[in-house]
Amino acid sequence: MIDVIEYTKLYGDTVAVQSLSFRVAPGDVLGLVGPNGAGKTTTLRALAGILQPTSGSIRIADIDLHTDPVAAKSRLAFIPDEPQLFDYLTVTEHLQFVARLYGVHDAAPRIPALLEELELSAKKDALPTELSRGMKQKLAIACGLLHQPSALLLDEPLTGLDPVGIRRMKETIAARAREGAAVILSSHLLHLVEELCTRLLVIRKGQLVALGTIAEIVEARPELAGRSLEEMFIALTGDDTVS
Amino acid sequence: MPHPPAPVPAMLFLYRRTVANRLRQQMGRAKSPRYLAAVVMGMLYIWWALFRNAQLGSGPLAKLVETDIAVPIASAFLLLSTARWWLFGGERSALAFTPAEVQFLFPAPVSRRQLVHAKLMRMQLAILLNTLIFSVLLRGGGSSVEGWQRGLSLWMLFSTLALHRLGASIVHANAMEHVGTARRRLVLPLVLFGAVLVAVIYGVVTAWPMLRIASIAGIKAVLLAVTDALRSPVSAAALWPVRAVLEPVFLGGATKWLAAMPWAVVILALHYFWVVRLDKAFEEAALEATQHRAERQRRFRSSQMGNSRSRKGKLARVPKLALTGRPEMAIAWKNVVAALRGGAWRTQLLTFTIGLAAMAVVARSASDRAGDVFMGVTFTWGAMLLFIGPLWMRFDLRLDLPRLAMLKTMPLPGWRIVAAEIAAVTALHSVTVWSLMVVPLMMFLQEPALLAESGATIPIIVSVAVGVPVFNALMFTIQNGTALLFPAWVRLGTEARGFETMGQNLLTTGATTLVAAIALVFPVGLGALVLWITNDWGGWSVLVATILASAVVVAELWPLLLWLGGVFERIDVSEVAAST
Repeated sequence: MIDVIEYTKLYGDTVAVQSLSFRVAPGDVLGLVGPNGAGKTTTLRALAGILQPTSGSIRIADIDLHTDPVAAKSRLAFIPDEPQLFDYLTVTEHLQFVARLYGVHDAAPRIPALLEELELSAKKDALPTELSRGMKQKLAIACGLLHQPSALLLDEPLTGLDPVGIRRMKETIAARAREGAAVILSSHLLHLVEELCTRLLVIRKGQLVALGTIAEIVEARPELAGRSLEEMFIALTGDDTVS
Repeated sequence: MPHPPAPVPAMLFLYRRTVANRLRQQMGRAKSPRYLAAVVMGMLYIWWALFRNAQLGSGPLAKLVETDIAVPIASAFLLLSTARWWLFGGERSALAFTPAEVQFLFPAPVSRRQLVHAKLMRMQLAILLNTLIFSVLLRGGGSSVEGWQRGLSLWMLFSTLALHRLGASIVHANAMEHVGTARRRLVLPLVLFGAVLVAVIYGVVTAWPMLRIASIAGIKAVLLAVTDALRSPVSAAALWPVRAVLEPVFLGGATKWLAAMPWAVVILALHYFWVVRLDKAFEEAALEATQHRAERQRRFRSSQMGNSRSRKGKLARVPKLALTGRPEMAIAWKNVVAALRGGAWRTQLLTFTIGLAAMAVVARSASDRAGDVFMGVTFTWGAMLLFIGPLWMRFDLRLDLPRLAMLKTMPLPGWRIVAAEIAAVTALHSVTVWSLMVVPLMMFLQEPALLAESGATIPIIVSVAVGVPVFNALMFTIQNGTALLFPAWVRLGTEARGFETMGQNLLTTGATTLVAAIALVFPVGLGALVLWITNDWGGWSVLVATILASAVVVAELWPLLLWLGGVFERIDVSEVAAST
């Protein structure tokens, strides 16, 4: 469960995100979409405990991220758009590092299983510099999944993956949601969002524009009926030149 | 009618604006009270370090450079430094352009010669700053030359060295990339350098009996004997070109300066024409170096530098990490792995120990007071490592801050993350410093009489072993604290920098030492009090004093660590992003 209540982030006088409130229930996959500079990454980073909100509160699995950040962070995983890996640790050592860091008690059997699931077994002794962009992305995701987080935050998770990798990754994300994780997925790939996400959160200039299932959004904005998701996105984010 | 291309003004504009904008960006940080306080403290420190000595009329450094031994010793030191560039190719950063410079300058209507000049112009930024720092440091002394004369001499010295390093890097890089002519081009300088080195070593070897006798009289006599050896006809002739660029800086008095300057100008001019004539080789070497740097920076931004695998493709063996236990151990373990695989710490340690063992053998054969001499060398090395080591041993937050976003997602309180980062590097560096004691200990175990002769007692040696990790923890906490408090100003990463930044490094080391000295007032005071009360300066009271002093340092570090943990939790990732 992820609860965001009146989250606001200011940089000096600049408003990055303003009074954003939403909830992601276990099993839900929320698609976070918006144009460049809308505040998607700022929101995800705040949910991951990287940025301190200027005001508002964020709760992960019913734990307040501000008052008990360690407990909240141990329940979440954040996978950034650019994988952040250590060049001197092998693929397996990355997972061992995460296991120790998060106190994963059953890491020994889980590590080979995860490597297999993400097609990394053949590369288990490779260093990140010896991996392709897609493989690095898979390793970052494997690290995020090892401790079975209650909240999974993914920023452009399919970047660099080949078609087979994309399919496998979609299955992995959907499986985690089925297991009860609350997932937030930020992506510009609208077909991915449409296919994977149960609900949509559209933001523009740091403000909520639309929230809900596609049907709920259309119900609130009847003029969007019959449009593709791409057309809906353009209409909602203010760039109406196409419509 | 279109204007003809004007690359030189364009490059001048580029570097002028780069410096101005960077300064503006850095000073813009001073709007924050934390950075503003640092600016004030920094200015006070620079005034104290640079100007206060000069106001006293005779800076200690100024006096040192005007002694008789300065020129021969500095010449030999410089020769060894330059030999390194020829043998190992110097630092590739001497050649590298930034990716933006490559994108804009290389396809532009700019000749290779103009590219060389662009590189020379950019090098001047660091050289001028270094000249300024050393000109102020070397002020004072009754017989010394005018400030502008010393400044000019220093600028010529640094410029000649920069040109030499650039030339050596170009020739070496081309020889490594190509066969035939390029490789043959390396032979002549290597032969010349080899001949010069052999000539200098020959001078020292022929003076060996004198050195043995001098070693009995102490370190000053040894230095004088070495100086005499370097002044012997063969060594002096071989060292002449190096001496020629050094003399204007080191010789006191306007007449001597005037006599020395023409030769320094000739050497500088020869270097300039040599480097400009290397323009054909330059472009390729520069591109290759740029690519190398980009790769290193890319690795660093996402993680680390260096080659983790051996030529045979094997990874360095590392300690195994248990999957359960205190989570911060994972962070410390990761840094140890970085040092072992990325930073070749093990190789450095081995080199240190072998070097010391060789020195022990030489000391024993060269002097009847080997224990004394060797103990002196070991403790001097140890002190240098303790103070300078934390500057170049950077497998801590200075390595990890560019990945701050990831660190912040770790389910640990900030202080435990900071502590783990500091603990690993403290442990590694303590092993390095301890290793200095292995060889003398072996030597003394073989011949126990040497121990008594050296003045070192078992309690003193045990105390050093106890005190080293505590002192290292303090020094690394200062370094990491500075990086955390001022990430936008502190150099993050591990890339080596050339001698052009020697002045800045000197100031940084001075500042760190000053902070450490303040932190050590109470611990050292307490230790001294214990020794004074017991009046036992070589017995077990030394160990008691060390333990008490260490306990006070730990007591000081504890709240500091908790506070730095809070800083870590509050720090904004954008502040770090700007510095990397």
